[in-house]
Amino acid sequence: MRVLVVEDEKALRESLVEQLKEAGFNVDAAADGEEGLYCGREFALDLAIVDLGLPKLPGLELIRKLRAESKKYPILILTARDRWQDKVEGLQAGADDYVAKPFHFEELHARMQALLRRSGGWAQPVLRCGPVALDSRTQEVTVDGKRVELTSFEYRILEYLIHRAGEVISKTELTERLYAQDFDRDSNTIEVFIGRLRRKLDPDDTIKPIETLRGRGYRFALQRESG
Amino acid sequence: MPTRSLSARLLASVSILLIIFFGITIVLLDLLFRDLSDRAMRERLELQLRTLISASEEDPKAGLAPTLDRIEPRFSNPGSGLYGEILRNDGYPAWRSDSLAGTGLEFAAQLKAGEKKYHEVHSGDGSVAFSLSMGIEWEFNNKKTRLFVFSVAESLEPYYAQLDRFRVQLFGGFAGVMLLLLGTLAVLLRRLLSPLRRVEQEIEAVEAGELTEVGTGYPRELLGITTNLNALLTSERERLARYRNTLGNLAHSFKTPLAVMRNLLNSSAVSDLPIARQLDEQVGRMDDIVKYQLKRAAASGGTGLGTAPVVVSDALEALRGALLKVYIERNLQCELHVDEGCVYFGDREDLTEIAGNLLDNAFKWARTRVRLTAQRTSKPTGRRDGLTLIIEDDGPGIPATEHDHVLERGARLDERVSGQGIGLSVVRELVQLNGGVVTIGTPDLGGARIEVRLPPV
Repeated sequence: MRVLVVEDEKALRESLVEQLKEAGFNVDAAADGEEGLYCGREFALDLAIVDLGLPKLPGLELIRKLRAESKKYPILILTARDRWQDKVEGLQAGADDYVAKPFHFEELHARMQALLRRSGGWAQPVLRCGPVALDSRTQEVTVDGKRVELTSFEYRILEYLIHRAGEVISKTELTERLYAQDFDRDSNTIEVFIGRLRRKLDPDDTIKPIETLRGRGYRFALQRESG
Repeated sequence: MPTRSLSARLLASVSILLIIFFGITIVLLDLLFRDLSDRAMRERLELQLRTLISASEEDPKAGLAPTLDRIEPRFSNPGSGLYGEILRNDGYPAWRSDSLAGTGLEFAAQLKAGEKKYHEVHSGDGSVAFSLSMGIEWEFNNKKTRLFVFSVAESLEPYYAQLDRFRVQLFGGFAGVMLLLLGTLAVLLRRLLSPLRRVEQEIEAVEAGELTEVGTGYPRELLGITTNLNALLTSERERLARYRNTLGNLAHSFKTPLAVMRNLLNSSAVSDLPIARQLDEQVGRMDDIVKYQLKRAAASGGTGLGTAPVVVSDALEALRGALLKVYIERNLQCELHVDEGCVYFGDREDLTEIAGNLLDNAFKWARTRVRLTAQRTSKPTGRRDGLTLIIEDDGPGIPATEHDHVLERGARLDERVSGQGIGLSVVRELVQLNGGVVTIGTPDLGGARIEVRLPPV
């Protein structure tokens, strides 16, 4: 999942980026409103975290501009000004949730998970497709109730595919969303990980969870059960 | 207690002044009129007396008698009001005019020769006359002399009647002039005071939030007031905005380092150390204190003068939309009942803060439903309505023993059970600063029911 952090306070931005990376996100960071607008426009994002008190372009304006350009990804406001008037204005401008500073990372993370889940059309924290279940809170994956051990990167690919279950996702999109910019962008790596995922989820090749559509990409083929 | 209106005061003073002025004038004119009439009467009597004297001739019987065709015929008509008498020095009347018949008028009797006397004579039947008598040493043809008293009198009734007429005309005339003057003055005052009335109306409009300030184009005498009033309104608004901005900046600059601290304490390197947890707790306390004190300080608690009244349904609808978005996963029903045309004469931010905190709590605790009711509470004395907000949910509710505790002041933040938000304390502070009350009641929906009554300002 690719996340943009727009925060002007350097120390906070850096520690937040660090924590988000640890939590398995592909993170972009911007230090002011204009940079944030550029990133928000140009990158294929899954979520943006926006501070309201930003230099150059206020957070509210940034959110309005992104929404005016039909950017649909969820936006979470991070603000030190926790007056209701500000919260209402932020949500009216197009944000989806807010977290007041100072915050606990767990809370921010939980809110992000919920927003991401909902943007994929899932209402419950456990994403079920056929026998496969992914719990976004514990990051556990089970098949027919049996736990499957995945590496962090395998989990992130599966999470992304299940989030958008039913949709065709190109290799480029997967690369963009999952790799940091400075990463090796060899698309063959994706194929290798998809192959491993298939073997782990479906060792007997019976449920066929991930389809390959030649020249177009991948699709998580199992029917959604909840949400 | 309001003093009487300026125009009433002015009209009253002018009326008193006019009454004094006209009163003196009337008395003076009355005196002058009586003096003139008196003199005219004396002259007339003098003339009549001379005529009587010159018309008198020796009479064999009584001694003296006037030749009747040489004196006024009115002497001969009874009740004519003109009387005459010639009295001998032995007290016997030589001649009495026919007009004296039945009047019982008595003239001055004892006068020396050449002596003149004016006096008022009263008759038995109450009629009054003014008389002139004169003693005359009459030399008869036989060279003998004898003292006679010649008297003439004129009835005072025509004189009094004339005086009455004069007085009626005088009073009537002055009363008319006075009414005319006062009427003109009233009209003049109305036009003169119309700028004052305009100021009053515009201040009312400012109070009602229809205008942000009073207008321009006032006469020089009022410009001082209107300009200063506008300056006051503007500075009050700007002061609040500047103040809130400063507080916002303060919150920002204080909370950003707190956020950094908390994030560092949460980082995987230290988050498991006991000291990290303790420090994190302290960060939380600092945050609560800053939040509480700043929110309290940012309350306007003011009258909202010169700002449009808050349309309650707009403000609450915006909050409801925001909270439904944030709590979308709770799948709650949120009913909003707002009285038709309900407005709040106060600060929008205060109202949003109060309702926001209460609604947030309700959304947090509700199982399925939240109900928000806003009613206008009209006061017969004021032009502005008050506002009552009732927020109910069907959550676990607040135990009766806790009612006072959850509304405790922020000064006792240390005693709070951790995890319980400062929302209610903030609400209580804000409501009190706006002169209202918060009560926790028995709910219809089964959970908590919080009622906020904001008085009209």
